[in-house]
Amino acid sequence: MNLRRRKKDLTFWERIYIPEIIKGLALTLRTMFKPKFTVEYPEVKFIPPASYRGRPVLVMEENGKERCVACGLCARVCPPLAIEVQAAETQDEKERYPVKFEINMIRCIFCGFCEEVCPEEAIVMSKDYELSFSSREEALYGKDKLLTPIKQVQDRIDFLRHYK
Amino acid sequence: MTILQLIAFTAVKILVIFTMMMLTVSYLVYFERKISAWAQNRLGPNRVGWFGLLQPFADVFKLALKEDIVPTNANKTIHTLAPMIALFVAFTTYAVIPFGPDVTMFGITVPLVVADVNIGILYVLALSSLGVYAITLAGWSSGSKYSLLGGIRSSAQMISYEISMGFSVGGVLLFAGSLRPVAIVQAQQGWMWNAVLQPIGFITFLVSAFAETNRLPFDLPEAEPELVGGFHTEYSSMKFAGFFLAEYANMIIASALIVTLYLGGWQFPYIESFGLPAGLVAIIQVLTFLVKIAFLLFFFIWVRWSIPRFRYDQLMNLGWKVMFPLSLINIIWVACLIMIFNL
Amino acid sequence: MPKFVLDGIEIEFTQGQTIMEAAKAKGITIPHFCWHPELSISGNCRVCLVEVEKMPKLVIACSTLASDGMVVFADSDKAVSARNAVMEFLLINHPLDCPICDEAGECKLQDYAYSHSTGESRFVEEKVHKPKRVPLGPRVMFDAERCISCSRCIRFCDEIAKDPELTFVKRGDRVTIETYPGRELDNPYSMNVVDICPVGALTSRDFRFKARVWELSSTKSVCYGCARGCNTEIWVRNNEVLRLTPRYNKDVNSYWMCDHGRINTFKFVNDPSRVDGPFMRHNDNLIRAGWDEALSKAVSVLKHYTKEEIGFIASPYATCEDNFLFAQFAKNVIGSKHIDFMRHYDHSFGDDFLKQDDISPNSKGVELVGAVPGKGGLNFDGIMAAIKSGRIKALYILEDDIVSANPEFGKILSKLDLLIVHATNFNKTTDLAEFVFPASTYTARNGIFVNFQGRAQRIRPAASTIEQDRSLDGMSLSRLDKFGTQYDSWATGNKRDARSSWKILQALMQLYGIKQKYSLAEDVFLDIAKNIKTFHGLNYEIIGDQGSLLNLVVPETAVKV
Repeated sequence: MNLRRRKKDLTFWERIYIPEIIKGLALTLRTMFKPKFTVEYPEVKFIPPASYRGRPVLVMEENGKERCVACGLCARVCPPLAIEVQAAETQDEKERYPVKFEINMIRCIFCGFCEEVCPEEAIVMSKDYELSFSSREEALYGKDKLLTPIKQVQDRIDFLRHYK
Repeated sequence: MTILQLIAFTAVKILVIFTMMMLTVSYLVYFERKISAWAQNRLGPNRVGWFGLLQPFADVFKLALKEDIVPTNANKTIHTLAPMIALFVAFTTYAVIPFGPDVTMFGITVPLVVADVNIGILYVLALSSLGVYAITLAGWSSGSKYSLLGGIRSSAQMISYEISMGFSVGGVLLFAGSLRPVAIVQAQQGWMWNAVLQPIGFITFLVSAFAETNRLPFDLPEAEPELVGGFHTEYSSMKFAGFFLAEYANMIIASALIVTLYLGGWQFPYIESFGLPAGLVAIIQVLTFLVKIAFLLFFFIWVRWSIPRFRYDQLMNLGWKVMFPLSLINIIWVACLIMIFNL
Repeated sequence: MPKFVLDGIEIEFTQGQTIMEAAKAKGITIPHFCWHPELSISGNCRVCLVEVEKMPKLVIACSTLASDGMVVFADSDKAVSARNAVMEFLLINHPLDCPICDEAGECKLQDYAYSHSTGESRFVEEKVHKPKRVPLGPRVMFDAERCISCSRCIRFCDEIAKDPELTFVKRGDRVTIETYPGRELDNPYSMNVVDICPVGALTSRDFRFKARVWELSSTKSVCYGCARGCNTEIWVRNNEVLRLTPRYNKDVNSYWMCDHGRINTFKFVNDPSRVDGPFMRHNDNLIRAGWDEALSKAVSVLKHYTKEEIGFIASPYATCEDNFLFAQFAKNVIGSKHIDFMRHYDHSFGDDFLKQDDISPNSKGVELVGAVPGKGGLNFDGIMAAIKSGRIKALYILEDDIVSANPEFGKILSKLDLLIVHATNFNKTTDLAEFVFPASTYTARNGIFVNFQGRAQRIRPAASTIEQDRSLDGMSLSRLDKFGTQYDSWATGNKRDARSSWKILQALMQLYGIKQKYSLAEDVFLDIAKNIKTFHGLNYEIIGDQGSLLNLVVPETAVKV
């Protein structure tokens, strides 16, 4: 009878086990002398690529105003309901603007749905990953913390245009 | 040598060994973390002190500050007793391990061993089997299913591997013709190390030593993925530190024992032929002993970060169907050697 | 009955019905923009094109009369491609304004673009630009670009409001809507055009950009503005009432409601002047007190007066349940016969369409539940006269700001030794009160209003007080309500410490040693139905969404002195 050799059937040398152990030990020993990947964080900072999804920010145009028209799609699509938008009327051409735009960073899960759904490219994921709070109130990021000059997020916008 | 001198020298030796043990244990933890990091392309602890050298003290400090939690269901006395047994066993075993030849100081000959007992090996075996009580009691007294499973596994594992360990030692005893550790060391002159003469015994003993110290790949009593923390699930603060210390102390004991029984103990092969002064020879020999232990400790850690844990049935199969017969074969092999070469 | 077949379904119809109407009666909706059941047929949007066997061309379902044996296809290839083509035409000049547009979420064009459109536009040229943000009237804003020229608003003004104000001007793709020269869209029903506009061309200036409709919860209720009791929906976000829209009831208001009811009847709910917790007068100031303290103090003070010295003013602004318990309290607990309520009439308000002169929602109900003078009791004017003469020293007013309604009463009420008021907001009456109990508004309670026709209609809680839990109390939930926690300001805001008046009265009665175990407004109503003939056999379920017409007999209690 010619039984097919299965993957889990071991050869004689594998069954003895010791050569395999030595192989394994040799592998770890070699690894010990290889260069390390660790980034020593507070001294050396990781600068993420454009595809990185850090904390969401609002794009501020060069005239100092937000792009957002407070359509509320980001708030609607946000799976953990982290975003709260309150619209109001403005005399600008865009008619409406967010009088209040708040992201609860405790709720945010950095999924990036908000930027994906945004019809105005007004909310994008930044490269900021350094978030810490000592109270619930501190974690409510209002417009003051969210508005970011467009220059700082230009590469993310380019990335989105290219891949979205 | 008067009785007073004996007590004084013994006290000094105990003190030295105890201090050395404590230091080694704490730095062993440090090196465990460092080596594990290196094996995974990481850097390891490097924040406390230069290269993280003060990390062990930070660890101990942290553990000491933790809340000591005793579960409501626990048997409080035994729960407290268990880590003490573990520590006690770990430290007392060291009494019979020789770490150098006899030295003559101020006209007095001092053996570099705390207690040169003529049943030393039996003493070691007895105490190491006592060690299982610590774990089993800890597991049982915690009143937690994870702990209990860990404790039961540990007793089964210890009993199984003690047998092959005992038989492996049998081969060594046949050569040395004595249960005195000092005599066993002296019997391994030159390259006549037991590891060379009886490789099978060496391997079975080595494997059993891993099993007895609950080190990976034999750390089933702890088995984090399945048993949370095994027998020490319900331990915290200094009681947990007790088990932690005991595990690393046991590693040192096991290494020392392996060195003593199989790797020629403190002997540096053919050092007599170099014609060095007696004092220097003694120092070199103590250093030799330490280097051998250091290598074995590295080996322990190295194996831990290379080999995955056994499944429980694999563990038992290995113990009873492989290690036990192999150790018997080893005894026959040694007997044959003795018969043929009339050693 | 004659029949025709629509997409394989046999539909019976009466002679003179159009395909659209007959299908709608059967529960099948043929897509439409310009057709509205209450308006004349215009037939200009062309989206209801259907294929009829043996007819050479497609016909519009809204104006083609059904005839016996007709075979109609609304989803044949021809009909579908015609509909797609119409949608593509309509969308050519429709701006991509949805993120800004208030209609988004309840927009017919948006819905049909999903369900009846190919989803792609082949139009690459610049869209036609027209004026945006044109205030057509004081309450309605117009965006000409979004308009699809369905003419519903024009027909509404002509036919329903009977006040022609709007018309089309220009031709082709420049066609737009304007008011007649010198006119603006300011008829008292003007905001209905916002509802019937299928796109976001006409939007409410009051609700403009306040909220996205998908964030709101809607609750079926009844308008508070006059005795008509138009059926409404209350739209709430974060316990804040943001708008009212009419709800169809063919016997009361059809699809319509007036602008007064739509704008002015909920503002007080969100006002900062709301009474939040019970208040007691202390050194000429109203000071916030605890419930137990205020209730027991009120009872102990009330006990200083004989039953002849206490008067009771019920309220046509409170529900039947509240007034019923108020009458019980006055007549059975205190033993006073002096109970009546103030009639609020504004003869400049009523018209011959919906608006009524009686500007309180429940005066009929108050009479029916017996909050009227007992035998030998004083009526409202009598009570006022008795206060003036010093015969009545204590007055208990239920949710009615009688001083604002008639400033003369201010002088009279200041003669009182004791004035207890239930109020939703601080007002001129509470300024004179010793005790102010916080009544929840009609948007936060269950109850029955009886309109001028004698139709009992339900109101339901839409915005919650601190006592209520939206999900446990079965209130309608928006997504935000459903998932908000106590830490989310967008789910827990605007809650006040207020109670339905019947609850406050029940607590008072318990202090008088009367054990009642109403736990819900419905329990009170069941008691009303048991004790008062007019309401016999009714409960909340029977009254339902559309109300029940009461069998009106003149109640024995309605004897005036």
